[in-house]
Amino acid sequence: MEIIRVENLHKNFGKLEVLKGINFSAQKGEVITIIGPSGSGKSTLLRCMNGLEEADEGQVITDARIGMVFQSFNLFPHMSVIENLIEAPIIVKKMPKSDVERIADDLLAKVGLMDKREAYPCQLSGGQKQRVAIARALAMEPEIMLFDEPTSALDPQLTGEVLQVMRQLAREDMTMIVVTHEIGFAREVSDRVIFMNQGVIVAEGTPEEMLIDPQIHDLRAFLAMDKKKETIETPECEKVSD
Amino acid sequence: MELDYTISILGFILQGTGVTLKVYVITLVFSIPLGILCALGKLSSFKPLNWFLGAYTWLFRGTPLLLQLFFAYYGLPALGLELDRMSAAYVTFVINYAAYFTEIFRGGIQSIDSGQYEAAKALGMTYAQTMRRIILPQATKVVLPPMGNEAINLIKDTALCAALSVPEILRNAKVTVARDFNVEAYIIAALIYLVFTFIIIRVFRALEKKYSYYSN
Repeated sequence: MEIIRVENLHKNFGKLEVLKGINFSAQKGEVITIIGPSGSGKSTLLRCMNGLEEADEGQVITDARIGMVFQSFNLFPHMSVIENLIEAPIIVKKMPKSDVERIADDLLAKVGLMDKREAYPCQLSGGQKQRVAIARALAMEPEIMLFDEPTSALDPQLTGEVLQVMRQLAREDMTMIVVTHEIGFAREVSDRVIFMNQGVIVAEGTPEEMLIDPQIHDLRAFLAMDKKKETIETPECEKVSD
Repeated sequence: MELDYTISILGFILQGTGVTLKVYVITLVFSIPLGILCALGKLSSFKPLNWFLGAYTWLFRGTPLLLQLFFAYYGLPALGLELDRMSAAYVTFVINYAAYFTEIFRGGIQSIDSGQYEAAKALGMTYAQTMRRIILPQATKVVLPPMGNEAINLIKDTALCAALSVPEILRNAKVTVARDFNVEAYIIAALIYLVFTFIIIRVFRALEKKYSYYSN
């Protein structure tokens, strides 16, 4: 069952054409990862899907409630963890506080942060902040979750705990659209991988087709570059080979 | 200094203290909300409102408060608006201080990261909910130090009301000095201002401490 469809989406920032006619749709329960070089329009596409950006042309068709997780967490620093979770359900959905707290406590347990319930964001590590941000989005009971480079602001040793939570969500059949540079994660959890470059969808397919031995030149180049970057970033692989 | 004399003039100056406090409290109570509203207006994308508020803050921050007081009391009657001296003082102080608070709150609101608006919007909050629950509470922390400065300036600025013969601390002290040829009333007035500024400093220190429970 189709849950969201994007038709002929165009977006410009001034003279810069960021999205040049994007078409795609997601099925309920599908996990889609969007990869591509920076500036390819991945984040803008996500932001158009939940209304953070207004498209200049084309449309996003959906009835689903959409939650979003940001690269920079964007937790509310003046609120404790539990307050971050219950704020929107109480003031947007007008749910009674006791019900919301029950849901929020379940979510905190799920992301493994029950012991940080009363902590403030400034007391948390990056990985913990992002897990709270995921729980906060889930507290609104969304039908689609958008992830905008959720691990890009994290130290490498903290990405695992966030990916673990996302893996769990994928197993629970949440519809997820994930912009990421974690190629390994994309290969592992996605049903479909979309490769974007310069504002268009260049290719899409299963993780096997897309990530193992892709035939498209741009995608091969992108993956090769990504691999090289990974090698540089990981100290134990730092060997001079030639 | 003779104690008998001090006690005999103290009552009169303390009466003035009541008037000073009235001007002080009324100014704060009305100019802070007005300043917040004008700050939101200045940040809105409605150009005529931006222009109007820009002219407003320029006019009231760009001319002497004393001139504004004179204008309200002596100038407005010529335009058909008669205000008694207390009303002239209230109106002038509220409008003048709201102009400063507008700029302080505008800066405070603008200092909040755009990600906060995005997170609130992504969670379905309206503009009003975002402002009330997310942005303004954080902006409050940011504006506390400059607000503390203004709160101290205000208690001293109320002395300008003496120029309209509003019977506040300084005016009553001046009347006493002129009558008795004795400067002690001025010293008492200075001590009263010092006590007030001491209290204001303490209050703002406590507020800053209260808001130190989080950092960004």
